[in-house]
Amino acid sequence: MARYGMVMNVKTCLGCKACMAACSQWNQTPFWAEDGGKWRTRVTELQEGKFPEVKREFFPTICMHCVNPPCHSVCPTGATYINKDGIVLIDYDLCLGCGYCIEACPYDARYEYEKDDLEKDEFYFGEDARHHQVHVDKCTFCVDRLAEGEEPSCAATCVGHARIFGDLDDPKSEVAQLVNSGKAKPLGEYMGAQPKVYYIK
Amino acid sequence: MDLVQQHTWGWFIAIYLYFGGLGGATIALGILGELRFNKGKWFGIGTALLGLAILSFGLIWLILDLINPLRFLLALWVKGIAHSWIARGMIIITGAYVFGVLYALAAFFEWTTFKKWMGYAAMFCGFGVTTYTGLLLNANVGIPFWHTPALPVLFTVSAFSTGCALLMWVLAGKNDHESEHFFHAVEGFDIFLISLELLILFAYFDFARLGNAAVMKSSHMLLTNPLFTIGFVVLGLIAPLILEAYASMKENSKGLAAFASALVLIGGFLLRYLIVWAGVFQYPHGLAG
Repeated sequence: MARYGMVMNVKTCLGCKACMAACSQWNQTPFWAEDGGKWRTRVTELQEGKFPEVKREFFPTICMHCVNPPCHSVCPTGATYINKDGIVLIDYDLCLGCGYCIEACPYDARYEYEKDDLEKDEFYFGEDARHHQVHVDKCTFCVDRLAEGEEPSCAATCVGHARIFGDLDDPKSEVAQLVNSGKAKPLGEYMGAQPKVYYIK
Repeated sequence: MDLVQQHTWGWFIAIYLYFGGLGGATIALGILGELRFNKGKWFGIGTALLGLAILSFGLIWLILDLINPLRFLLALWVKGIAHSWIARGMIIITGAYVFGVLYALAAFFEWTTFKKWMGYAAMFCGFGVTTYTGLLLNANVGIPFWHTPALPVLFTVSAFSTGCALLMWVLAGKNDHESEHFFHAVEGFDIFLISLELLILFAYFDFARLGNAAVMKSSHMLLTNPLFTIGFVVLGLIAPLILEAYASMKENSKGLAAFASALVLIGGFLLRYLIVWAGVFQYPHGLAG
């Protein structure tokens, strides 16, 4: 049993969006959707400050895998559940598709995997298509890769070491050290969801 | 802080919230009329079934809002009952159907004691449906305008006000003594409810005036939308309040009260639609792309 978490280092994110590409290929998320696609992870471009003290930042986001997830609280069928490693997952067979979790998530981590997306998934991935029914979708910390001892695809592909993944319960792990030292802090703590994704800004 | 208007829920959910509340209130008020105001068994049966029919009509819209409406039967798999208001709502709605139908049967066959208990159980579930529609929105922590204890209260009061309005329509065509008596009781109750609704709205917007950025944005969106200010507040609350208060003091004024009821019914829908429309997420800075 682990307590997986991630640290996002906004200072070292290059904005290359390789994480988005890797995630969308591994998890077959609808990169084809209108208005820029639907993603389990995003990199938002921010402009901070005022001229002449202005800088551009790249802000990676993902499901926060909260300890007290509002999406889990509102799910009527128990489709959203927390596994033994603290990862918030969705059982697609039980997902009603009501969208309540999308509304409840204060971190904009969820989206609808719709009928059109299923068709496109099959079109692009053929026999390897992984989505066979409509459901609400979100980051899983690549739970299937973890089972094989690999890192989530976004962290594995990050060139700037901006995504640091590990076990928060292992004091020797880089992620635990960054969190325990206070360098990395969660977003929106006031909402009480207790996210397990932390940010170095 | 990034403020983003929600778009996942729209018309369909608003229609459901409206008819759910209206149906629940109609069941509760109708059975109250039969049990406490001697309105006769056909009134009780009629209003209980009318309430259930309205609730069913609302549920159709909820089902249509699912990503795949054919999966609606999964809603009966209420594993999340310990924490989810959709799961709890399913139990309350099922209770309204079961007790509502049992009440109607008991009333038809005149099983007096059984009818009374089933009637109270159906009333409780009807009341529950009105309140749960507000709690449903209330659970969304990322939308501060919804995440306030005032919302379930506002929706409950508004649902009962629309329920009163519908019953006044049903009663307006009848001229017997009991109907007259109950009509005026409902009219008086609706005047009280509309006044209370105005008070809650005032408190809601006063809270919003001093609230956080998302709450202020939501309230600004509503207060600058004529559909809310003129459509709901003026025509859906203040006008029917004045008309009903005037009608309650005059003889033979059922027509006027029925007209005011129509305004209340339209206003009730506008309230739900606009509250859903004005939901604004308050994301930590950087999240909204």
